[in-house]
Parts: sequence; structure tokens; C-alpha cells
Amino acid sequence: MSPDRVAVVGVGQTKYSAIRGDVSMPGLLREAAYRALADAHMTMNDIDAVVVGKAPDFFEGMMMPEPYLAEALGAVGKPLLRVHTAGSVGGSTAIVAASHVESGVHERVLTIGWEQQSVSEAMWALSFPIPFQQQLVAGAGGYFAPFIREYMRRSDAPEDIGILVALKDRLNALKNPYAHLHEPDITYDSVKDSMMLWEPIRYSETCPSSDGAIAMVLANSEAAEASSASSGVPPAWIHGTSMRSEPATASGRDQVSPQAGKDCAADVFSQAGITKPLEQIDVVEMYVPFSWYEPMWLENIGFAEEGSGWKLTENGTTEMTGALPVNCSGGVLSTNPIGASGMIRFGEAALQVRGQAGDHQVDGVKTALGQAYGGAAQFFAMWVLRTEKP
Amino acid sequence: MAGANNSQDLLRAPLTIEFGFSRTTGPVIGAFLTGLVEQRVLGIKDSTGRIVCPPVEYDSVTGEPITEMVEVGTEGIITSWSWVNTPREGQPVQDPHALALIRLDGADTAMMHVVAADSDEEVATGARVRIRWSAERTGQITDIECFELVEE
Repeated sequence: MSPDRVAVVGVGQTKYSAIRGDVSMPGLLREAAYRALADAHMTMNDIDAVVVGKAPDFFEGMMMPEPYLAEALGAVGKPLLRVHTAGSVGGSTAIVAASHVESGVHERVLTIGWEQQSVSEAMWALSFPIPFQQQLVAGAGGYFAPFIREYMRRSDAPEDIGILVALKDRLNALKNPYAHLHEPDITYDSVKDSMMLWEPIRYSETCPSSDGAIAMVLANSEAAEASSASSGVPPAWIHGTSMRSEPATASGRDQVSPQAGKDCAADVFSQAGITKPLEQIDVVEMYVPFSWYEPMWLENIGFAEEGSGWKLTENGTTEMTGALPVNCSGGVLSTNPIGASGMIRFGEAALQVRGQAGDHQVDGVKTALGQAYGGAAQFFAMWVLRTEKP
Repeated sequence: MAGANNSQDLLRAPLTIEFGFSRTTGPVIGAFLTGLVEQRVLGIKDSTGRIVCPPVEYDSVTGEPITEMVEVGTEGIITSWSWVNTPREGQPVQDPHALALIRLDGADTAMMHVVAADSDEEVATGARVRIRWSAERTGQITDIECFELVEE
């Protein structure tokens, strides 16, 4: 039996914000889930299984979301599974959901990623004492700052590349009604003058803490075509999925451009027949929680030679009007419910392919890449979507 | 060979994790907890017509959101119970007490709470109880200090 084709036929998001005080956690998930079902012209009765991914338990004080959420999702009696890979969880969750369809086990799978960062303080949840893990000092920013510094040294990039990324992403967010941060008055100087948090990362070059959820409906060929015929929106066909991981603390691993990220990109491009990513991919949603990760991932994924990713940022290639728009949604720099952030990348890639991205839609998208990373830059997840059926 | 296979040599170090959480309650649980401050107990009517108390946000049969909140009584009956003869530190009452499932008048489901009683011989399935409210109420289940037996 050959693997079935899989497409995204529904995407639903909540409005992201610092706190969604009006809903319970199940209510937040349900909002995204039922919007995705509505987008797919389906009801919960049409769904065969639900695959969820959330933040690490410690971020939200919730250990077993599966039994807790079944009733809220109207999913009692259906298979309900949880996936976990730290910050990349949203991407991994979507891929696991897709594999359930690709394998022929299910025809229609609902997948949901979420986090309420307002429940707690993720920064300190990442700061366990030694000897139980390496000392993060002050959350993810403290951990990643030295690798950003090393990237700047290796690449000899101008010092303001991070400012350009932050400015671009925050301006893109103004075109996305779901984005958390809407800062119409942001300027190059306001980013530059914002407080230095973890040198060289400034406050305005850092992701916010957000509440929110995203859901997608994935379907096999027959179900996807039926959904599309009903909704009038084209499916976003999956042409490749890949996940890779590597140990957080292995000596000698390159944390600036991890091998797992390179391998993940090579794998997903091979599946999708992509040999010249810069030419063959129309739009990218990648996980950039700190501004400098845009040029770093551009190189890691293979859009640019090592040491030259920053040139694509500096010359405007990654702007919405450029040849390779990156994070038209505003990205993680504008919206970061961590457990959802990876799936938002994957879902935004689907919106671009389906032509549903509204004011941040790029014209004529045929191929989109979604990328997520997590942990100590050790988990990677990517998928390639196209308008064309594989 | 020294060392690694001898468990006495392996590191054990203290790990104290203290972490505060603040969860949103949503429109249904939030209304229930707010009611407690006002000494009112709210249930919710589900798709079968039952009054569920404490209330739930989503119907257990249809999976749909439910919204029709109904005030129930502050007295009810014990539907089952367990006697706590030797309370431990941190338990809600330091005297011997029952942990009981209590179906309030007007409700079709039971909630778990503490029943104050002098001995287990006073507690019985079907026994009538009423709420003893806490003097200071902040919108938590402990706004109900406990239930006390009603003389019949």
C-alpha cells in the first residue's frame, strides 16, 4: 500500500495576547479547534483522531491534558494523543498528526497546539539549578545569547542585522490580526534604543509571552478534495515532513548551526524535490524567537552559504516584498505561545498556500516552508506545502 | 573497578522546585467561584436536563458548550463518604471528619467536600448536610469551610 497524500484543509487560530483572561484553558483550545473545523467545512463528528502538543508541563502546571480536554473538544471516545518536543512541539505535533493520515490509519485528524504563558513564567521554568541541567542563568535568551555572539563573530555581520529582523517582523505583524504585538509606532531607532536584555539581544529583538492556540485539520486525498469542494479553498498539500534531534549537551556539537537542523532541511527538501531552496520556495515561516535567528536559520536550512545569511536580511530578500519573504505573519517575535509557536509556523505556511493569509498574503505562493526548533536548539521540525497535489 | 556501579557513590543532590501558577477559570467555573463569594452555589443545566454541580463548561454527551447556570440549594444529602480519623498536616480540617460526596438540593450530581461530625457513627449515606461558609471568601472552593449535619 502506497502512503496516502495528506493536505491541510482547515486552520483556526485564537487572537494571541498577553493573557486571555476570559477563557479557561479548554475554552482556548476549543476556540482554535472549532475555527479550524469551520474552515474545513467539517464538524467534530468527521474527525477520526486528535493529536495535541503543548508547552512543557512545568510552564503551565498541567501534566495530562489529554483526559482533561476530551470533553471540551467534543472528542470523547476518539484517540487523543500528546506529542512533546519543547519549543518545536507545534511542528512535531502537526507532523505526527500528518503521519496518522499518511499511514492510512485515519482519514481526518485534528491537531492543536497551545500555551497560556500567562499561567506562569516560562523564563524561570527554564532555570533549574545545576547539577540537574546546564545553568540557563535567565531563560532562553541567556542561553542563546552566546551563540548569537558567536554567529556575529563568524559571519562578520553588521551589528544591526538583528534590529532589521525585529523591525521587519513587528511591521509584518501589523498585517496579521491574530498577532499578539501590534506596534504601529515601532522604528529602527526604537528597536535600537530598547533595553539590552541579554547582550547582544535587546528587548525589542525578543519574543513576547503570549496566550493562544492554533489548530489544523489534516485530511487524506479523498477527504481533502471533498473539503475543498465544499469550502472553496484549495488544500495545502504536504510534500515533505521531517524531524531531527540531537543531545543538548553533546560536546563538540555546533550550537550556532546544529547538524540536526541541516539534516532536517536536507531530508525535507529531498522529499519535496527541492534542490535550490532560495529559488523554489516562495515563502517561509521559521521559528525566530530572537532576531538574529533569522540569518542563522537561513544558513542552517540552506537558503544561504554559511556566513552570508545576514545579507538576505540586509538586502530586503526576506521582506514581504522580497524574493523570499520570511515570517509575514510577524513570526515568533510578535507572537509566542511557546507550545503553539511551531504549529503557527506550519499553519501560516498553509494559509499562504491556501491564499488565506489576508493582508500578509504573498501573491502567487505555490510552495511554502514551515520550520520550528526547540529545546537547546536540539529539536527540529519542518514541512513543505504546495498548491499542487503530489 | 571503583565507583560508578556502587550506588552509594552516585550523586544525589537536593532539587527544590517552587513555582506559582495562575490559571484562568473561564465563564462557567469562574461564575461558580464568584457565586461562592456571595454565598450562592451555581450549577449548570446540561443537554439531558440534569443540573450538574459543580458546573462544567462542556456537555458530557454532546460536547457542546453549555451556559444555562442555575442556583441550587445550600443544603443537600450525602451520597457516599469516607471517614478521616487522623487528619494529616495540610488537610482542610484538623479534627476527625468525613470526606463526602454531597448532592445539593436541586442538583443531580454530587460534589466532594468535608463534613464536620463528631464521629463516623453520625455520618451516613442519605444524611442531610448544610454549608458552613467561611468568614472570608475569596472565590475558592474553600469558601465553603465545610458541611455540617442537619438535625432531622
